[in-house]
Amino acid sequence: MLSGVCGRLASALRGTRAPPSAVALRYEASTNELINEELGIAYPIIDGIPNMVPEAVRMTHQNKKQEEVEQH
Amino acid sequence: MMCQAECRHYLQFSFQLPDVYQVFESVAKKYDVMNDMMSLGIHRVWKDLLLWKMRPFPGTQLLDVAGGTGDIAFRFLNYVQAQHQRKQKKQLRAQQNLSWEEIARKYQNEEDSLGGSRVMVCDINKEMLKIGKQKAHAQGYKAGLAWILGDAEELPFDDDKFDVYTIAFGIRNVTHIDQALQEAHRVLKPGGRFLCLEFSQVNNPLVSRLYDVYSFQVIPVLGEVIAGDWKSYQYLVESIRQFPSQEEFKEMIEDAGFQKVTYENLTSGIVAIHSGFKL
Repeated sequence: MLSGVCGRLASALRGTRAPPSAVALRYEASTNELINEELGIAYPIIDGIPNMVPEAVRMTHQNKKQEEVEQH
Repeated sequence: MMCQAECRHYLQFSFQLPDVYQVFESVAKKYDVMNDMMSLGIHRVWKDLLLWKMRPFPGTQLLDVAGGTGDIAFRFLNYVQAQHQRKQKKQLRAQQNLSWEEIARKYQNEEDSLGGSRVMVCDINKEMLKIGKQKAHAQGYKAGLAWILGDAEELPFDDDKFDVYTIAFGIRNVTHIDQALQEAHRVLKPGGRFLCLEFSQVNNPLVSRLYDVYSFQVIPVLGEVIAGDWKSYQYLVESIRQFPSQEEFKEMIEDAGFQKVTYENLTSGIVAIHSGFKL
């Protein structure tokens, strides 16, 4: 039931963004987050409510790897 | 004028300013009850009037900011659903002689009882949103409704996304009102409307006197008796007094880029609805 709610959430939130540019968010059931792979960010979902305050953004692994590559 | 608005936060409160987040965390469960008690139920009329002013049509995309417990969102859904039903009734009357194929086709089309209308409720306080979600579940609101924890000063939405932005009794609790207004402008579509329902300054000296007595003598006591929380309601009453006047707030809205900014006083100016358009 929760995944149904979040699935609907994800489609309802298709227009939401994280940082500056226009992005679409995908619901990731395994981590219960809304993820944008393009930007490598994820927002947690707590009690069925996505936490999208700026501080809540998490960098996904792909992004971290990219950053490490860039640093070299 | 701007200095006055900026200096607002340095104006005196009668005691150590509580953390706004904590205020709403503690009042969330009793929020609706207290609204009824404090305004003698009149807040319901104010919110109804906000919807009347909005006149949303089916298909409207609404962003309700600081709308934690869902009062505006539910009214919006009721309104667009009633409109959609009226439209369908009219259609039915005009379609009394359909062919069998047309009737069969109607069964295949998925019926959206809201005509594409959607409301996102964005609030910075998790407790308020939880109460809102519970209410939605209890009252049967499901379709076209989404709940998001977000910051009015930095909204997690694309530019040009919404037809209407509402903030009812929320903007006076935002730390940087000008940023919230700029964000409102950003996320609205061109042609979109900003609507703010908020406490304002009373324009009648007699009403003002009664209002002061009621605010400072009765409300904090009610807060203590009903919610066991005198301080939060003292904060509430004082934050109302600190909020800019109708004209000052109108200028702030204009500064954010809105046009055709107007306001309407309700109940002798105890409350005002400000409206502006992104053109």
